[in-house]
Amino acid sequence: MQSLYLWPDKPALSLLVLWLVSQVLFYAARVPMHRALRKLGAALGGILRIAARWMRSTSDELRQRNREVLLESGRIEAGAKLEHEFRRLATTFTNDLKQYPALHRKLDESVKKVEEDFKASGVAPPEAPGWPEAVQAVAGMPKAGDRTVQKVLEEIHRSAVAQEKKTLQAYREATAKRHGILAQSAVHWKNIRGLLEQVNKAVTGTLAVSARVDGHMEKYEKILKGEDAAERILAGSALNLFVISLFVVAVAGFGGLVNFQLIARPMSELVSGGGYVFGMPISMIAALVIVLMEVAAGIFVMETLGITQLFPRIGGLPASRRRIIFGVALTGLFLLAAIEASLAILREQLLEADKALAIALAGEVAKGKETVAAPLLSRIPVIGQAVLGFILPWILAMIAVPLEMLVESGRHVIGRALVLLVRGLGVVVRLAGHGVRYLVAALAHVYDIYIIIPLQVERLARGGGGAREAYAPARGASLRNPAEPTSQFKAPR
Amino acid sequence: MKMRHASAALGLLALVLGGAACSDGRSHARATCVLVDVSGTYADQRPEVARIVKSGLLPKVRPGDSFLLVRIDDDSYGKEAVEATITFDAQPSRANAQKLTLAGKLERFAASRKRARFTDISGALLLASEYLRETRAGKKTIVIFSDMKEELPPGARRTLGPKELEGIDVVALNVKRLGQDKLDPTGYRKRLSGWGTRLAASGAASWKVVLDPEELVQEFAGEM
Repeated sequence: MQSLYLWPDKPALSLLVLWLVSQVLFYAARVPMHRALRKLGAALGGILRIAARWMRSTSDELRQRNREVLLESGRIEAGAKLEHEFRRLATTFTNDLKQYPALHRKLDESVKKVEEDFKASGVAPPEAPGWPEAVQAVAGMPKAGDRTVQKVLEEIHRSAVAQEKKTLQAYREATAKRHGILAQSAVHWKNIRGLLEQVNKAVTGTLAVSARVDGHMEKYEKILKGEDAAERILAGSALNLFVISLFVVAVAGFGGLVNFQLIARPMSELVSGGGYVFGMPISMIAALVIVLMEVAAGIFVMETLGITQLFPRIGGLPASRRRIIFGVALTGLFLLAAIEASLAILREQLLEADKALAIALAGEVAKGKETVAAPLLSRIPVIGQAVLGFILPWILAMIAVPLEMLVESGRHVIGRALVLLVRGLGVVVRLAGHGVRYLVAALAHVYDIYIIIPLQVERLARGGGGAREAYAPARGASLRNPAEPTSQFKAPR
Repeated sequence: MKMRHASAALGLLALVLGGAACSDGRSHARATCVLVDVSGTYADQRPEVARIVKSGLLPKVRPGDSFLLVRIDDDSYGKEAVEATITFDAQPSRANAQKLTLAGKLERFAASRKRARFTDISGALLLASEYLRETRAGKKTIVIFSDMKEELPPGARRTLGPKELEGIDVVALNVKRLGQDKLDPTGYRKRLSGWGTRLAASGAASWKVVLDPEELVQEFAGEM
């Protein structure tokens, strides 16, 4: 500051002179300065506005591309589902129709048998003649005095009673026979009911599949039309899928970590070069590679089984070659699992040795031996670790399915997030453009405030009435409120 | 599109496999030199020092690390002052066996009754720095068990050069307070700060006085 003083021993005078000179200079430079500020505001605001527009258009483009990809993948998925349902429907129909002649024959036979039984049971039983009345009439005849007549009558009565019993017996037997025929017929009725239930089940299943096909078809049509509702549904399901698959992959990641921990220590015995890569010992890298190889083998197994489609080329290979890849991957997975199981056993032994060493170094060798011996008596931890070491690779191999879902849904979710980010940035840049324009306009005002005295003098020189001219913006500049749009300092759009 | 997904999914694997092909070239091994004062009253501390080293430091030593035990006595700069020197095998089980052997040496050292008349700390530091430099370890540490009161034998000259302890961390552990120190702690503190100044001038990476051995053990375990 002192270097600016014209007279270092008179700072006040120096400052006063400097101020006066600056007033004159600033007043003289008012017009070009206003013009420069205006240009600066316009330039900065324009650049930011263009950037904001570019971001807006980029986000729109991204959104459109995302939409297209989302609809396309949704169309492919819905098409695949439709195809699957149609195939299922065709299979069901073929099976059901194949069974229909046999079913029809069985039904026909059962109905015929029921008809025959009905007819058989319809044969009229022998009528019970009016024996009771005859017996009653004979019994009611007046007793004659003649013993011969009396005897004849008694004989008639006895034979009438005997005949009545015989007839009743015949009637009962005939009725029982009819009941027997009807009882046999119940089996046929049951058969008929079973067959009808079978038919009903087939029809219900077909109707359910048809309803599903209708649903898929409706969705497919919506996607084909490119409806917003279809896009919203697809985006929602992609987000759900992303969250779920992320969760499953995270769980599998923790499983992988456990797996890694299980083999890291024994690997240091096998791979003990002492080298480091990215700050990690080679042995740990080797353990990590084994875990990742299990994942890779699992991916190939899933690919060859057709469960995932991360590698379309594998899916397009002939079945014989796919079987070879499947065999190799499965064998590799089995070998890796076996290696892990053996490493897990080794780990347990090494940990016991480490524990024994720590106790021995602490100077309690005798106590250490006892402590170390106790767990060795139990084989449960060793077996547990070996089983874990064998099972974990197979579980890790399953990661291919959620991984594929994560990759597929992640594309849509990340694309959507990117659109939001670019759009948000566009808004921020646009606001910054407004801010810059207002700031530059405010600077012009500050400039005029600094030279308020020369401006007042100018106003007085113009006879007081020239206030408006004095305060008016210099030619080519604007001093208006930047909020009010003018031709010079236009409010940013 | 699917191919891109697949390559993204296996990107990590490729990175790891690619990385495995080249080592970072940096030494991750550690070299630790323990200097133990066997002069004056501190000579009685030998069993305690051996216990701290055995149960605290040794279990934390990793395969590939180097370990050195040096006596601080009348002439610590001589090779005779080296009690034990070992570079542990890269295979953990072999390194464990070496640790047990070293523990035996420490026990014999603790049982020794030899007592020095002078305390040549600087000579021990010079010897330790030479040995540590030779190991080319990534992390070099000197742990001093002493009262930090130097008493050089007549005629001995010890000068620590400006780069003598460059890149070496120096830790003083279990610093015993002398009779005068208990009456006036100023002398004790002045002695330690004097060592701090001297070690800093000789390029030591750090100088620390640790009261609790457990703190050193924790620090030792956490280092890479």
